[in-house]
Amino acid sequence: MSLVVAGVPPATAPVPTVRSLSADDIARLLPHRYPFFLLDRVTAVEPGVSAEAIKNVSAADPVLAGHFPGRMIYPGVLLVECVAQLAAVVYGTAAVQAAGGDLVGDVAHRVGYLAEIRQAKFRKPVLPGDQVVLRVQSGARVGSLISVSGQASVDRDVVLTVRLAVTERGEQ
Amino acid sequence: MSLTLEQARTRARARQELTGEVKRLLVDRLALDVDPDLIGDDQPLFGRGLELDSIDTLELAMAIEERFGVTITDDETESLLSLNRLADRVQANQS
Repeated sequence: MSLVVAGVPPATAPVPTVRSLSADDIARLLPHRYPFFLLDRVTAVEPGVSAEAIKNVSAADPVLAGHFPGRMIYPGVLLVECVAQLAAVVYGTAAVQAAGGDLVGDVAHRVGYLAEIRQAKFRKPVLPGDQVVLRVQSGARVGSLISVSGQASVDRDVVLTVRLAVTERGEQ
Repeated sequence: MSLTLEQARTRARARQELTGEVKRLLVDRLALDVDPDLIGDDQPLFGRGLELDSIDTLELAMAIEERFGVTITDDETESLLSLNRLADRVQANQS
C-alpha cells in the first residue's frame, strides 16, 4: 500500500523489508511501557533506514478521557511520540542486526533521546476508531545526531508531517 | 599563477556572492533573528558568535547538502566553525 498526497512526499519510498513485528517484539526493542507504549504493530522495517507501523486509536485510551471531555481527539504530541518510537525501532533493529541477530533483540537500553522537533504540522484531527499508519525515514547524520522525517496518515489523508533529530546511544 | 586585476575582481565577487548565499541560507533554515548582511565573514557560528548549538549543526549540514550538494562528514565538522570555513568547504567542492 502506498499513499501519495500532492505536495507531501511519502516519508518512505516502498518499504523493502516487509516483516511484521508484534507489540511484544516492539517491547523488546523499546524501553517504553504503559501508558507510554504507543505502537501496536510494525508492518515493515528496513533496519537503520525506514519503517512503517500502525497504531489503533481507541475510545478506551485513558488519555482521551481528558483530551477532551465530550470531544475526544488523539493528542498531536502523542502522534509525534509515535514517530519518535518508530524511529527507535529503526535504530534498534539495526543494532540487533549489527550484533549478528535477526531483527528483534533486547536492545531497549540503547535507545537515545529525542533532541529536536521541527516543522510538525497537524493536518487533520485523529479520532477514536482511526487506524493511524506511521512512516519514518532516516536522514542525514552528524556525530551522534540523526535527522528523521516522519508522517502519519489515516486512510488516504496525511494527518501529521514532522522532522525530528534523535541521538544515538552506543553500548550502555 | 598571477591573476589579472579583472580575474581577481571576478573571483572576489564570486566569493562575496557565495558567502552572502550561505548567510541567507543559515538565517532562513535556522530561523535566526539576525539580518544576514550583518553577519561577518569570520564570525564564529557557535558560542559567542551566532550562538548556534550542536543540534543546529545537523540542520545546517542538511541545508548545505541540499543547496550546494556538499556533504559534511563527521571528520569535517570544523568546516562548520565559521562562515568563511563553511564557504571554503563549499568552494572547494565547486572548483
